[in-house]
Amino acid sequence: MQNAIQELGWFLLAPTLTILFFFGVLPFFYVVYVSFHSWNPFAVDPNMVFNGADNFRKIVFDPAFLNSVSVTVLFVLFAVISELIVGYLLAQAFMRDFPGKAIFRTIHTLPLIMAPIIVGSVWKLMTTPSIGIIPHYLDEWFGITMNIGTSAPAAFATIVIMDIWHWTPLVTLTLIAALVSLPPDPFEQAQIDGANKRQIFWHITLPMIAPAVVATVFIRLMDALRTVDEVWMLTGGGPGSATRFVGVHIFKEVFPKTNYGYGSTISVIVLYLTIVVCWLLYVTMLAPRSKKD
Amino acid sequence: MVDQNDAPLAAAHFEEEGAPPIAQKKAGFLPIETNWFDRVFISVVIWIALSLLWFRVFEPLGLSIWISNAIAIALAVFIVRKG
Repeated sequence: MQNAIQELGWFLLAPTLTILFFFGVLPFFYVVYVSFHSWNPFAVDPNMVFNGADNFRKIVFDPAFLNSVSVTVLFVLFAVISELIVGYLLAQAFMRDFPGKAIFRTIHTLPLIMAPIIVGSVWKLMTTPSIGIIPHYLDEWFGITMNIGTSAPAAFATIVIMDIWHWTPLVTLTLIAALVSLPPDPFEQAQIDGANKRQIFWHITLPMIAPAVVATVFIRLMDALRTVDEVWMLTGGGPGSATRFVGVHIFKEVFPKTNYGYGSTISVIVLYLTIVVCWLLYVTMLAPRSKKD
Repeated sequence: MVDQNDAPLAAAHFEEEGAPPIAQKKAGFLPIETNWFDRVFISVVIWIALSLLWFRVFEPLGLSIWISNAIAIALAVFIVRKG
C-alpha cells in the first residue's frame, strides 16, 4: 500500500520534474559549461573554445561588471527595503476598516497585473521631458528640472520609485495574509501586560510574521537582482552606466556583442551572488540554531 | 526489586529493540543546525568566493589558483566532518 502511494506520488510528479529538468537543470549546467569557454558564434572563429577559468579571471577586474554589481546592490537595497516598509504599513492599513477600502485595495493591486515592459513604457511616457506629467509638475510646482536622460541620480531614483510602485502590492498582499493568520491571544496578553505598540511589533508581530517577511524578501530580492525589461524601456541602462544593472549588463554583453561565453560567466556569478545573499538572509532570520554540548 | 514506575512497558521495550537506532545530533562549530548537504553547500560557496578573491588579489602576486583549491578542499573536509 505504502509502495503504491509512493509510486503514484512519483508518477504525478513526473511531468513537473521532466519539465524542470529540461528547462531548469539542463540549461543551468549548459550555462556553467559555456562559462568556461570563449564563444562568439558571429566572430571570425565561431567555435566554442575551452579557456579554463579565464572568463572568471577577467570578470574580477572588469570595471563595467563591478560597477553594474554595485549599482544593482544599491537598487536592491533601496527598492526592497522601501517596498517592505510601505507594504507593511499598507497591510496594517488594510487590516482596519475605512471608507472606500475595497476600491482602494483594487486600485492598489492594479500595478501587479501589468507586464514589466508596459510599466517601463508608461513611466517612460510620464518622465520624458516636455511631454511627461512628472517633469511638467515638478517644474511648475517646485521649479525642479527633471531629465532622466541626462541626470544619473534622477534616472536611478525614478527606477527605484517605479519598482516600488510596481511591486509593493505583492508585499502588501503577502503581509496581509500573514497578519490575518496571526492568533489574537498573544496580542491580548501583551496588552494586558502593558506592552506598548512598539514592543508588540518588535516582540510579537515581527517574530510571528518573520517567515512570510523572509519569503517575500526572497521573491523581491531575486526579482530585483534580475530586473531588465523595465530598466531597458525606461533608461536603457543610462545615462552613461548609472542604471546599468547586472541584468541589463548581461543583456548588452550577450545580445548586441554576442559574447556568449563571457555573458554566461556573468550569469553564473550573478546566480552565485543571489544564492549567497538569500542563504545569508535565511541563516540570519530563520535557520534553527544548533545547541552546543 | 524493580520499581514499577521506572520499568519500561514490556511491549515498548521489545519495540525499541527492533527499532533502528536514533541518530544522535552532534553540535558542530557552525552556529546553525546543518546536515551533510548544507555543509557541502557551505563549502562550495566558500570555494567559489575564495577562488574569485584569489583571482583578484593573490594570482597577480604569482600564487597559483591550485593553492586556493587545496585550501578550499581542506576547508571543505573540515566543514563537512566537524561543522
